[in-house]
Amino acid sequence: MEHWLYSINLSGHTLTFNLDTIFTMWFAMIVIIIFSLLATRKLSLVPNKLQAFCEGIMNFFWGIMGSMNTAKEHVPLIASLFLFIVIANLMGQLPLRIIHLKTGELASPTNDINLTAGLAVIVLIYYVTAGILKKGPKFFLHELSFTGIVTMFVEILEMVTRPLSLAIRLFANIFAGEILVSIALGAFAYFAPLPIMLFEIFVAFVQATVFMMLTIAYVSSATGQEH
Amino acid sequence: MEQLQLAQLGSGIAIGFGAIGAGLGIGIATKGLMDAISRQPEVAGKAVGFFLVGAALAEACALYAFIIAYLLMAK
Repeated sequence: MEHWLYSINLSGHTLTFNLDTIFTMWFAMIVIIIFSLLATRKLSLVPNKLQAFCEGIMNFFWGIMGSMNTAKEHVPLIASLFLFIVIANLMGQLPLRIIHLKTGELASPTNDINLTAGLAVIVLIYYVTAGILKKGPKFFLHELSFTGIVTMFVEILEMVTRPLSLAIRLFANIFAGEILVSIALGAFAYFAPLPIMLFEIFVAFVQATVFMMLTIAYVSSATGQEH
Repeated sequence: MEQLQLAQLGSGIAIGFGAIGAGLGIGIATKGLMDAISRQPEVAGKAVGFFLVGAALAEACALYAFIIAYLLMAK
């Protein structure tokens, strides 16, 4: 799937921007920002409907953190990742493709591997930092023995494979969904894509949940007592 | 054979073998879910949530193969 590329030259290096991804990403972020501003505008002890709804969402995250035995201080990262990914995935089902671009199309921003790789790198930096802050040098080397050194190398390898699988999993699910919708559109226009698009709404939530669960698992394995 | 035909053959093989693993994985996960629910019907709600996450993880393997197949076809 092509993107709307824009290149600038910066002292011999070429920086390429995927403008459609940037646009849809900011659209998703603006939706979340406006929603949270509206929800936190008039906080009261007796919540109105919007505030009660948002408290329900936050209770959902707190419950998950509690059930996975992770410290509550990591809720901001988990909650913002989940909400952003849900909004971004659901945007693929909006009729934004009506706006024609020269190349590419306006769909969900998560069908670009650059964005999902960015999210995965954020998770990597976060859990390594949290682990080092919690355990210090013991985060890398638990014990000076053969097993400890082998474990250290395996964990350094995991720092590559974990973000890689996180990024490719989210990207591939959304991308495959869009390819599937376009194939169905070619097979039997306007009717065959409908069940697939309904399924994609389900996939959007499931993938956001998977991303969040794996992030919680990585953070809790980095900060927990036993690895 | 020409390069395009080889690429098409390779993409077919890639998605086929990738789908085997994902199918097996989801099948085993479903079997586990059914066992759990039939043994303890009261855990059904919680088990289905974990099943969906696990099925999505297994399904991702097929999608890795799909990405490879798409990259081969797009060349």
